[in-house]
Formats: sequence, C-alpha cells, structure tokens
Amino acid sequence: MKKILVADDEMSIRLLYSEELKEEGYEVYLAANGREALEIVEKIPLDLVILDIKMPEMDGIEALRQIKERRPELPVLLSTAYGEYKQDFATWASDEYLVKSSDLEDLKSAVKRHLKE
Amino acid sequence: MASERTAFLAQMVELLTSTVSFGERLDNMVHLLARHLKVDLALYFSLDKSKETLSLQISSQGPVPPHLRVEFPLGQGVVGEAAEIRKVRVVHRHHAGALEANVSLEKLHPAFRTLAAFPVADDNFLYGVLLLVSREDRTFSAPERQAVHLATLMLAGTIRQALLQEEAKKRIAELSVLFEVGKALSSTVELDELLERIVTTTAKVITARGAALQIVDTVSAETRVSSQYGQIPIPPCPRIPEVTASLGAAPETPYLQGQETGANGLAHYYLAVPLTFKGQLQGTLCVYDKISPTGEYSPFESENRQLLYTMAGLIVNAIENALTYQQVESLAERNERMVRNLTALQEISQALLTTVQAERLLEIIIQGLTLEQGLGFDRAMVLMVDETAQFLRGIKGARQAPGVVAGALPEALLSPLAVEVPVTDWQIPLRPDQGPMALAVLQMRPFHHHQPKAGAGLPSALKGKFDAKEFFVVPLVVKDRATGIIVVDNQASGRPLEEGPIHTLQMLATQAALVLENAQLYSTIEANNRELLLIRERMLESDRLAALSSLASGMAHEIRNPLVSIGGFARRIAKLVEMNSPLRGYVDVIQEEVTRLEKLLREILDFTGENLSYFGDHDLDQLIEDTLLLVQRDFQSAAIKVVKELTQLPRIHCDDRQIKQVFYNLFQNARQAMPRGGTLTIRTYPREREDGLYVSAAITDTGGGIPMEVLHNIFNPFFSTKDYGTGLGLSIAQRIVSRHYGQIEVNNEIGKGVTFIVSLPVAKYCLVKDAGQGVAMAGALHAPTGGRR
Repeated sequence: MKKILVADDEMSIRLLYSEELKEEGYEVYLAANGREALEIVEKIPLDLVILDIKMPEMDGIEALRQIKERRPELPVLLSTAYGEYKQDFATWASDEYLVKSSDLEDLKSAVKRHLKE
Repeated sequence: MASERTAFLAQMVELLTSTVSFGERLDNMVHLLARHLKVDLALYFSLDKSKETLSLQISSQGPVPPHLRVEFPLGQGVVGEAAEIRKVRVVHRHHAGALEANVSLEKLHPAFRTLAAFPVADDNFLYGVLLLVSREDRTFSAPERQAVHLATLMLAGTIRQALLQEEAKKRIAELSVLFEVGKALSSTVELDELLERIVTTTAKVITARGAALQIVDTVSAETRVSSQYGQIPIPPCPRIPEVTASLGAAPETPYLQGQETGANGLAHYYLAVPLTFKGQLQGTLCVYDKISPTGEYSPFESENRQLLYTMAGLIVNAIENALTYQQVESLAERNERMVRNLTALQEISQALLTTVQAERLLEIIIQGLTLEQGLGFDRAMVLMVDETAQFLRGIKGARQAPGVVAGALPEALLSPLAVEVPVTDWQIPLRPDQGPMALAVLQMRPFHHHQPKAGAGLPSALKGKFDAKEFFVVPLVVKDRATGIIVVDNQASGRPLEEGPIHTLQMLATQAALVLENAQLYSTIEANNRELLLIRERMLESDRLAALSSLASGMAHEIRNPLVSIGGFARRIAKLVEMNSPLRGYVDVIQEEVTRLEKLLREILDFTGENLSYFGDHDLDQLIEDTLLLVQRDFQSAAIKVVKELTQLPRIHCDDRQIKQVFYNLFQNARQAMPRGGTLTIRTYPREREDGLYVSAAITDTGGGIPMEVLHNIFNPFFSTKDYGTGLGLSIAQRIVSRHYGQIEVNNEIGKGVTFIVSLPVAKYCLVKDAGQGVAMAGALHAPTGGRR
C-alpha cells in the first residue's frame, strides 16, 4: 500500500483529502505544518507528499526545499489556494502545482501519475 | 641828299607800321635797306641764345634755301664779332684774315669786297646782326651809318614786338593746353582710363610720336602701372632709378633728355620728366620724337620740357586721386562683402534658433553655406565623429542649385535643400594619415586643402566620392572636443575659395557645433523624458492593479479553503445518498453552488493578474536594452564595460517580463563573477536550426569561468557557488526559457569567462507548436536532477 503524506493547516481539508485518498487505497499520514511533515518524512518511507503552502511554523515552500534536499526522488505536489505562488520560482522544485478545488479529480489523477500507477 | 634820307626813313616807318606779317615786314625792310644803300646784298642773321650762334634768316634776294643757311658762332667772322662787341664792324676782302673768317659768305656772294655788320639791338637785348655785302670796296658815310643805325633800331623794335607777341601766343597756347590737359585728367577717376588719357594727351600736346608712363613701387620695385601711346621707337623710357639719379643734380626742372639710335639706324629723341608722388611711388613720363611742322623728327625744346614738367604736376595729382579712389573703392567693396557675410551669418544664426532638431539644423547650416545669398559655396558637407568606432561619418551635404534664386535669405534658409550630395557612405577613420578631414578633428583646427592634382592627399575611403583640388575643412568644436567637421568647396564653378566667406564659415562653425550639440542633448533629454513618463504611467497602472489585486485575492483566498471543504464534503455526501432520496437534490444544489463560486473566484483572480499571461510579440534586442537599463548603475559602480553587438532580429512571441527576468538574472550573475570589473559582451544573432528559426543572445563575461567540478550543478535550483550567483537565478532563467520552448547553453572557458547563449524560437514557429505538450530541451545542458517531468 503506497504511503502518502498530506500537510495542511486546515483540519477540514486534511479530513477531506485523507477520506478521499484512503478511498483510493492509499495509506495516508497527516501533518498540520511543515515541521510536522518533515518529522514524518524522516520516520516513514513515504511514496508521495502533498503540501499546502501557507502553513504556520514552517510553510510548504521551506518544507519542499528540505524534503528535496533529503529525498530528491520523492514526488512532492503543492496543493494551494494561491495561484500566484506559481510565480515564486522556489515552487518550481515541486513536481506538480495544483490549485485547490472542491473537485478532487485533478489531485487524484496527479497522485496516480506521480506514483506511476 | 637829306631829302633822300628823309624819304628812306619815311619808307622804313611806313613798312614798320604796315599790317603785313612780321616776317614779311622784316623782308621788306631788309630789301629797302639794300636798295637805299645800293649794296648787292642785305642779310639778317638772328641770334640763337642757347646755341650762341647767329644764323642767316632773311636775305634781300628772297627766301633762303636750307643749304645756304650760313651760321656764325658768336665772336667769329664779321657777323660774330659785331654781335659780340655790339658795334658796327666793316671789313674788306683784302684785309688780313678777312676772307678766311668769312669764307662761308662766298656761297652767297662769291665776289664780295666789302662786308659791313650792324648789330640789331635795343637798350637791353641783341637780336641779331644786319650784314651789308658789296662787290666794291666802299665805305659808309656818317649819314649812311646814321640811317642804318636808325633802321636797325626799327628792326630791333619790330623783332622785339614780334617776340613778345610770339611769347604771349605761346603762353596762351600753353595755358589752353594745360586747361585741356586738366579737363581731360579730371573727367575720370578710373585709373586705367586716366592713364590712357594722360599718355594720349601728352603726346598730342607735345606733338610727340609716342608717350609712355610708368609708375613703380620703390619699396618692392614692382611696376604698379604703365601705359603707352603711339610709337615707342627705342626701348621703354629710361628706368626710374636712372631718371631719379640724373634728376638729383637739377632740382628745379629735373629732366632727362637725349638721343639714341633705334633699331632702324635712325636717330630718335626722348624727353623724360619725373612723377613724384607722396609715399613710395615714383614714376616717369616720357615722350619720343618731336614732330616738327614739316613732319620731320626733331629733338625736344626747352619749352616742351617746361610744358611736360607742368603737366607732370597735374598728372601726379590726377593719378594720386585715382589711386586713392581705387583704394577707397576696393575698401568699400571689401566692407560691403564683409557686411554681406556678417548679415548672412546673423540670419543663419537666427534661423538656427527656430529648431532643436539636428536634422533641421543641418539643413539650415548647409543652406546657409551653399545659397548664393548666403556664403555662396558651391558645395557643403557635414561629417560627424562616431566616437565608439573612431571615424568620421558623412551626415548631410548639398550643392548650390544653378539658376535657382530662392528669394530672401531668411526664407530660403528654411526651404528644403535643392540638390543633396550623398555623403552617408563616407567613412573616414580618425587617424593622422587619413588626410585633412581626419586631421581637422584630431588637431581641432581648420585646413585649407589646395592640391594641383584631383584626389591628392585624400583618404582612400573617399576615392570616387570626393576629389576636390581645393576645399576648406573646419572642425565643429564643443568643450575642447571635435564633434564633426564642415567641408566646403567651389569645385563645380572652379572659383578659388575667398578669404571672406571662409572667415565667416569659421565663425558659423562655432555656432553650428554648439547648436548641434544642444540638439543632441535635447533629443537625449526628450527620449529620457518620454521613457520616464511611460514608466510612470505603467507604474501608476500597475500600482492601481496591484492594490485591487491584493484586495481581491486576499478575500478570494480566504473564501477558497472553506469552499473546497464545503464542496469536497458535499461530493462525498452525494456519493452516499441514494439516487431517489430527497437529500440528493439538496447536496447537488450545494455542489453546483460551490462550483459556481469557485468559477467566480478563478475569474476574479484571473482579472487581478494571478494567472494573467503577458505573451506578445517582442524584439529581443529591445528586451536586452530594457534590462540593461536596470543593471546599468550596478555595472558602472563595478567598473564593468558593456559591449553590445546587436543585430536586427525577427520578433519573438514571449512574456516580456519573464524574458527580461532571464537576462536580469544572467547579468546579475555576470556582475557577481566580475567583482573587480571586466567586460560584458552581448551579441545577438539569428540561428537556423532543424526545427526552425531561432534568435540567440550570447552573454559573455570575463569573470574567469566556472570550476569544472560545479559546472553540472549550476542549473540546480538550490545550488550556489561563491562566484556565480545565488543558485536560483540560473534555474529560474532556465525554467523560463524552457517554458518559451527555448534553451540556454553554456560555454565555459576556465581562466577567461563564461558565455551563456539564450536561444528562443521566432514567433511564427512557436505559434504552430502545441503549447500544451511542452518541448523537451534540446540544449547542451539539461535541467539537473529534481525529478521534473
């Protein structure tokens, strides 16, 4: 079973994503900020990470940088309410940039694509 | 006897008072004497004072042919002796030496026995001698002598009267001649005409065969003027120095008179008087061969001399007047020319104030130089200095249009050039061996080129374009710097270049240099102003947009997260609700409304620029120039010289802000690689590739290059070397370029520097590509690791 980490400071979003991804047959880990996400990346041999950008303590861009430093091969998707972070070139290190939508089909197909399923 | 004498005297008185001519009166009186005294011959010898001779003038036997004109020197012969002692002298043939002394008289009377000479004189003067000749030895009684004495007194009276009359006539004639001369001389002030009149009048008045006049400058020894009339039979009148030398001795009426044998072997006579002017001029007036009433040539007489001398005074005055007039006239003419040139200069100056456009200024300057009413040169050209390339480049030229009269100068200056001279292909390197035009710039001084051969001394760059033998070059100097040159010539008409217009040209050049410099500054300021205005406008607009955008996007983002949750869970609920449950409809409403709100959010954010793309057709060179403006100050403070070799290129389809970001990043990297200064070379060029046409920009620094061991890492987003940038810069650049379906290549030369080559596809090729597919980078360096697609 593939292991996916979802990091988002909004509890409702974490709940929604985890429900949907579990339904797709993934093992889902949750984090409320970048720091928690890094701890899980250290401990768990994850297959994919979904990061929100605006989070307290450590934001998604910093988390992305650190994850890529430790595990450059690990696919990281950015899922954010902000389209304009696309202009921030730091986000280009991610493997996919997704703007949040209530329709999660885009997200789920991106996950599948990066897990090479 | 007494009555006979009384009758004789009465007859004498009658003759004396008769109205017949003087000569006839004398003739008659001599006849009467001969008859009364019953002698064979009565002869009258007149005294020539200058020669001190007595020559036979009247004979009682009628006219004296020339070969019988017997002459006695004063004191010789019976005639000469009587004249000398002023007493009656009677000799007889048998007296010792009498025949020898008077043998010449035998021609008149071969058998004379008695000669009686009576001086003809009054109380003051001796006029001549009356000689009575008889074939007999005879004496003269006292009454006879008394009668002859009375007769000689009467003769003397008649002669004196005649001489006085003659003198008076001569004086009148002389005065009227002088009057005529004066009239002739004062009738003109034209020197040439005056001189002609002088020689003509002189020759006629003196009745000479020819006359010559010459005036020399005693300082330069040059002949100032000379004029001749009639026949000059012997080499020109005596050289002035000779005349003056021989004149020194006789200061009152100096002259030079003489006789020379001409080429034809005949004797010719000349008479010269000096012409003495004020100052350093000196001259002679010389007449040749006096024509006697009989048509023969004879030497000049003292009264001719006197007349010539008097005339000389008049002539000097007239010539001096004419010379002064000539001088005044030439001064006036010079003044007029100068005033005309200065007026033209002033009018050109005023016209130059009507515009600040360099193009118009050049036209006005060239019009001013070539218009007939301006400085009137045949041709004028302006060349300017290209400072970066170090050569002179032709900017504008024109020639005078023959026959075109463009009206008053001020209007004509503003009219278009009549005939332009193509000069834009003139390029003269600024080196001392490139002729007067380059030298005028290098030495900042005018040159008057004057060569007998066309094209001599001109640079090879002008071969076949310009080959004037004579032209003038004046530099345009502003603040100790030559910015260009003006070249003028009169090649077409062949007139020499005159001092006046050239002088005015030099004055004009000073002003021309200033106005052209000002125009240059003005246009720079204007361009900067336009740029600033544009930037300000853009900034204002983007400020407004940014404010609106930040407000809208702030709100939109706050709404988006809850919307995602609401919508997401509504979808989950929908999956759990039975198809026919009434809840199904409610959930659908929630889903649809959320979707509608999300769509609205996207539209708002699109408008505020979040997803706005700025793609358009742009000129790569312009984008580079724009970006250079941003880093210009940094480069200057880092002592980095920028060399641009930009080529006109086709436009590319791109987001101009992003492409500027690429160059900005590359420039910043280069600056960081050259902390101690260096050269940044930017070269743009088109590039044909298999998949189409690209435009490329090569950016080369002199920062020593990138160490081999880190070269493969330079496009890594978080990689950084001390020397080259912060890491992100190059990866961003590469991302942007690849999004534009282009590529970045690197040429690394260790120890020298790095060249980044950015290549972007030309618009039309880009448009046919499937934008959605993206294009794998074909370039030398792929993006490094990171697991990107």
